[in-house]
Amino acid sequence: MSVKTDNASRDVVIAVCGAAGDGSIAAGQILNMAATTMGYHVMNFDSFPAEIRGFGKSVAHSRISRDKALTPGTMVNCLVALDDPHSITELHSLTQDGVVIYDSKPADYHEEDQAVAGWIQPGMIGYGAPLRDLSAQATKSSKSRNIVALGVISYVFGFEPGAFHEAIHRRWSGKSESLREMNVEAFNLGYEYAEANIDKVDPIDFKNITEGHVTDANIVSGNEAAAKACLDANLRLYVGYPITPATKIMEILAKQLPKQGGVVVQSEDEISAICHVIGGGFAGKRSCTATSGPGVCLMTEALNLAVMAEVPCVLINAQRGGPSTGLPTKTEQSDLNLAIYGASGESPRAVLAPANVGECYQITRKAFEVADGFQTPVIVLMDFFLSNRMEDVRWQAEDPGTWGTYEDVLAEPSEEEYKRFAFTESGISPRSYPGMQDLQHPITGLEHTEDSLPAYSGENHTRMMAKRQRKLDKLAREWPGPEVVGPEGDLDVGIISWGSTVGAGKNAIKQLQAKTDARIGGLFPRLVWPLQTDAITEFAGRCEHLVVAETNYTGQFANLVQQVTLREVTRVAEAAARPLPTQIIVDRVQDLL
Amino acid sequence: MSETSSPTNEAPLLDTGVERDLQNVQESGLLDYRSESLPTWCPGCGYYGITHAMTEAINELDIEPHNLVFVSGIGCAGRYPFFMNAYGLHAIHGRAVPMGAGVKIANPDLSVIVVGGDGDGLGIGGGHLSHAIRRNVDITYILFDNGIYGLTKGQTSPTTPQEQITGTHPYGNPDMPLDAVTLGISYRASFVARGYAGQQHDLTPIMRRAFAHKGFSFVVVYTPCVTFDKVNITYENMRGNWKPLPDDYDDGNILEAMKYAMDDTLWHGVFYEEQRPTFHDHERETAEKARS
Ligand SMILES: Cc1ncc(C[n+]2csc(CCOP(=O)(O)OP(=O)(O)O)c2C)c(N)n1
Ligand code: SF4
Repeated sequence: MSVKTDNASRDVVIAVCGAAGDGSIAAGQILNMAATTMGYHVMNFDSFPAEIRGFGKSVAHSRISRDKALTPGTMVNCLVALDDPHSITELHSLTQDGVVIYDSKPADYHEEDQAVAGWIQPGMIGYGAPLRDLSAQATKSSKSRNIVALGVISYVFGFEPGAFHEAIHRRWSGKSESLREMNVEAFNLGYEYAEANIDKVDPIDFKNITEGHVTDANIVSGNEAAAKACLDANLRLYVGYPITPATKIMEILAKQLPKQGGVVVQSEDEISAICHVIGGGFAGKRSCTATSGPGVCLMTEALNLAVMAEVPCVLINAQRGGPSTGLPTKTEQSDLNLAIYGASGESPRAVLAPANVGECYQITRKAFEVADGFQTPVIVLMDFFLSNRMEDVRWQAEDPGTWGTYEDVLAEPSEEEYKRFAFTESGISPRSYPGMQDLQHPITGLEHTEDSLPAYSGENHTRMMAKRQRKLDKLAREWPGPEVVGPEGDLDVGIISWGSTVGAGKNAIKQLQAKTDARIGGLFPRLVWPLQTDAITEFAGRCEHLVVAETNYTGQFANLVQQVTLREVTRVAEAAARPLPTQIIVDRVQDLL
Repeated sequence: MSETSSPTNEAPLLDTGVERDLQNVQESGLLDYRSESLPTWCPGCGYYGITHAMTEAINELDIEPHNLVFVSGIGCAGRYPFFMNAYGLHAIHGRAVPMGAGVKIANPDLSVIVVGGDGDGLGIGGGHLSHAIRRNVDITYILFDNGIYGLTKGQTSPTTPQEQITGTHPYGNPDMPLDAVTLGISYRASFVARGYAGQQHDLTPIMRRAFAHKGFSFVVVYTPCVTFDKVNITYENMRGNWKPLPDDYDDGNILEAMKYAMDDTLWHGVFYEEQRPTFHDHERETAEKARS
């Protein structure tokens, strides 16, 4: 998809590319900070070598826009080349009229076909600047080429230099004043060089159209947002075992949670992690773990106990490509079946899927309330794409209340004998936990009676299965209906997507509405289990075609939709180690029209 | 172990001696810790003896039932929490130790006692023991070591002696058995003891010390499985080879502890005790560092 670069949309994708160590990621961070202070939204997705640090290509990929972007965009409007060999391999994603900023005096002489400048196609625009020389002039090192390049960007696209100065100081706030000043100088040299030497011919122009200084925006990743949700939800116990891409959550909590009286334990494996968490949940304290697919495989048995024994706990699964060790640094939504069904027996649990970074915060916070309120494990399905992409987030605006409120039903001592698993209409029995007087009881993974004694009668088993299911039915009724967009009434095509693919789904609708007369709408659930079947059938009933888009091979959510609606759906499902490009959905829908 | 019906307690009292015993038991407070469910273990199972010793020790320490949590694995031993008046978490096979640690870490005001069999704790869950010991979480872990898989009816466990014939080794067990006590000492648990279910008067004081110990206390209790083990840990076999640690034994000397633990004679008592900072002590420090 090509992002329009006209002033009205003010929406560009800038990629800073170099070898690991060239500072692409740092440059991207400063660019993002500066753009956010100017009042723009950013969505950023970095890619760096998967294996050992120090080799390979690093790219900071930032979309800067006036309206909040739905996807990071697959095409790049401006490539900042901090080196030649890696940057050449990035040119394929540049738009036909894209801009390349390159070093006009690189360290070594390159044959023309080995220099990025030699690859600039007719229609593209190249701006050369002596990045290395200017860097040496400012910092006596070639390492600040990235910052010099930011100066060039600032001038040619009209971004406020002051915002960059501030961002440079913030980025290196832990470092010495002189180092920060040297970097400001590197930036200024880039800016001044461009001002004096570059003939601007591209249409990108952010000059004089800044949105006003913003100070309360944070640029955070999905992992950071989820970690903050844990802190704000008053998490008491986090236990985890490192795994990409979930580790960051643990690292943040290890630093922050002890400050508010919570505890973080690094366990010997994921089995131990979930067991600690279940212990904590049983003890009446909010408890959580985060992992990825291989870890969830190890956790399934214990998680099933939490279902059976009705212990509240939260499990964040930051999905990556599978099966097995799979693609640790690639995104995929292929653990949906595992989240919903990963258990022996029939084991109802809640599965929530945030759609963007802000929702990683909101939904994770809500997960704790759902866990307590419905006395169940709750799985939050994130993925590599959500975990690692950065967006600007204003915490005050991220209201978990959007997703309802759920009450934690606690028992009170009374004359009557306490039954921990009393049959109730809602399926929810008032719970008690150790320390609450006169309400002692055992819990167990064996099927049990209302007063939690092992029991194997068919009649009791049936009633208990129904009780556990009723809790989830209640959640499906009370959770706000799935987000439905598009015109009312009959639709030619309805697009359904979930989790990190919601953005591409909505984006496809926008693009299709702009280029066709067809009536296109969409349905985007956040509660992916239990399914809100009424809303799905109602929506499906309005659609001539149903398209379900997701990043897995078999179309796992599509299967669920088919099951609920009893009709054939069109799958846009790929396991291609990338976020789903909007264009793929658009093309598929156009085939149907 | 009978899974069908529990005996009822309705038989009329026969003589005043029994009545007096009953009165003594009632006044002792021991019954406060018993639930209404009677144990479903086989008659003669060593677990009755362990339960009694544990209950006595808990009663002496006057732990309130609502602040007491039993966490158990799966197995005959795992049924323990159902028979007690306390909070109970009957976990999954092999995972009682991390679940118990989770309970204690989440709420350090609780007294947490983990119980489980040798298969549960040294087989499927064997990986957790060393780490619970490293963390020194202030819980007590009582390993009911009967050298056999009881609940699944008599298969080889990690403590079954070599050559013993079991359901899964009809020609004799080829694998060397583990010794839980030497394991505990070599991991340097801050409290390691060995007891015997058939020797109440020695077991209760061990339990009392284990519960009172600050840190991870590990108690290995030899206990006959009368139904599935006729050759190894039987009441007869235990009679000759079972000795209390000598009076002048130094329970602060880890090398001595190892020597006695590896001896052919089955010594019992507290092999090793060391006061070192618990997980919670470290947590308090972590919290201070994080806040400053
Ligand atoms: C994952 C799993 N595998 C197997 C079992 C079956 N199982 C239940 S108890 C048990 C072994 C019990 O032996 P032990 O732990 O020594 O306890 P005991 O019954 O002797 O008290 C086994 C294998 C299970 N419950 N879960
Ligand atoms: S351990 Fe053996 S004797 Fe004890 S209850 Fe189990 S099967 Fe029966």
